[in-house]
Amino acid sequence: MKSVYILAIESSCDETSVSIIKDGKEEIATATLSQMDTHANYGGVVPEIASRMHIENITMVLEETLNKANFSIDDIDAIAVTYGPGLVGSLLVGLMAAKTLAFIYDKPLIPVHHIAGHIYANNLVKPLEFPLIALVVSGGHTDLLYMEDDYNFKRLGGTLDDAVGEAYDKVARVINLPYPGGPLVDKLAHEGIDTYPLPLPLDDDSYNFSFSGLKSAVINLTHNEGQRGHQIIPENMATSFQNRVVEILTKKTMRALKEYQVNRLIVAGGVAANKGLRQRLTELCAENNVDLIIPPIEYCTDNAAMIGAAGYYAYKLGRRADLTLNAKASDQLN
Amino acid sequence: MKYLLIDSATATLVVAIVIDEQIKYLFNEVTGKDMSSTIMMKIAEAFKEAQLKPQDLDKIFVTTGPGSFTGIRVGLTVAKTMAWALKIPIVPLSSLEVIASATPGQTNVALIDARRGYVYAGAYDQNLNNVYKDRHILLNQLNVKGVYISYDDLPAIKPNPDILKLINKHKDDPGVNPHHLNPNYLKLTEAEEKLNYPHD
Repeated sequence: MKSVYILAIESSCDETSVSIIKDGKEEIATATLSQMDTHANYGGVVPEIASRMHIENITMVLEETLNKANFSIDDIDAIAVTYGPGLVGSLLVGLMAAKTLAFIYDKPLIPVHHIAGHIYANNLVKPLEFPLIALVVSGGHTDLLYMEDDYNFKRLGGTLDDAVGEAYDKVARVINLPYPGGPLVDKLAHEGIDTYPLPLPLDDDSYNFSFSGLKSAVINLTHNEGQRGHQIIPENMATSFQNRVVEILTKKTMRALKEYQVNRLIVAGGVAANKGLRQRLTELCAENNVDLIIPPIEYCTDNAAMIGAAGYYAYKLGRRADLTLNAKASDQLN
Repeated sequence: MKYLLIDSATATLVVAIVIDEQIKYLFNEVTGKDMSSTIMMKIAEAFKEAQLKPQDLDKIFVTTGPGSFTGIRVGLTVAKTMAWALKIPIVPLSSLEVIASATPGQTNVALIDARRGYVYAGAYDQNLNNVYKDRHILLNQLNVKGVYISYDDLPAIKPNPDILKLINKHKDDPGVNPHHLNPNYLKLTEAEEKLNYPHD
């Protein structure tokens, strides 16, 4: 069978990334330009600056990927692009470049949902097996999904407010850690003890999450302690916060595995790198005979390789977009 | 010679194909927020009506601003991707020059509403020389005589861009490297302004 080569473009947040993927499984070449150092000056991603940096870099990242692969666009079968969810101004740069290439070279244009990409990042390591439950946790997303087969998504729930990574970054700021503080909170959490009475957020029968109340509880507690002339102990706050986050994420994920009688769990997105979450899931999955799959760190953060992997399965199913394809800030994967 | 011109810096999208000094296709209409879904359809339509393939193009003209930040990026991403992929020259234009190109007066002052009392303004003479440099300025501080032209709700006449005049003026401009062709916003982002002048 003839191989299918997908050129994929991802620009939904602060990474400009282009990749060439063979048959949804093999990464031929990827180039990614991260803007993290720039946004660190502002304590978070500034959407307008992100958009400005994407347009400055998009053609260079395209060229670097083709050069690395020693490919020309004639060698490509289809163009896949993240259309959402994400920052609209950022998405539009990748999207317009993708539409332009699809038009000039008369190639199919494949719309890819960013979360589908995070899940299919695993396919680049080992082909997905079904059915599975996927927990996607990142700075912009917190979603729990059930998949019966390829590119067939049932969203069970997700965050109603802040994404889990966003809550981590905000808590990091409260305890005076630099941006992006999520990984530093995780590190500090391993040095403290759980002493602060933080609530277990949205502990109900749904598969939804809510982290904004938990974040506010951290802010209020820190403030109140300060009023009394007490300093909070950052490592203990980090441990208390992380324990609540990990507990609610794992509780609902394990319940989903049981309810859907699935013994395969995929964890994806930048927060999949969190050691506290990994440890607890490893224990729980071992106890319950669940096969736990977490992609290596370079596939956890935003990249176009994962979009090319997901794009291949969308392509096989005949998913196509026309030239009117627009960016979507929010869009549920179903 | 076969030219494509794109201006998406304001709510009025301009897409034109000119072949040997004749306009073969012109779209010049308000698309507003639909710009990003409309523009590629109009470009595809342009090539079809002009009976051209993108590979036949000799040069692309594109506005780099000032105007709507997102609007500028939509058209410029298309143009720079096309110029890079097809390895053809790309020539940047000012969106204010496009507005002024109808040249009803000796001096033509193009304006784009920049909100909060500000405008982007630039004046062009009958030969499209930029006699008052494009800038971001408070409207009530703008002190230049001429015929005011704007798409926006300002005391000015409506533009009717002269595509052939623009192309004749710029057809021999050297192309720029598409990798380095970037928007000319004439304005920092708010986050950058705050970082530079934190006590304003």
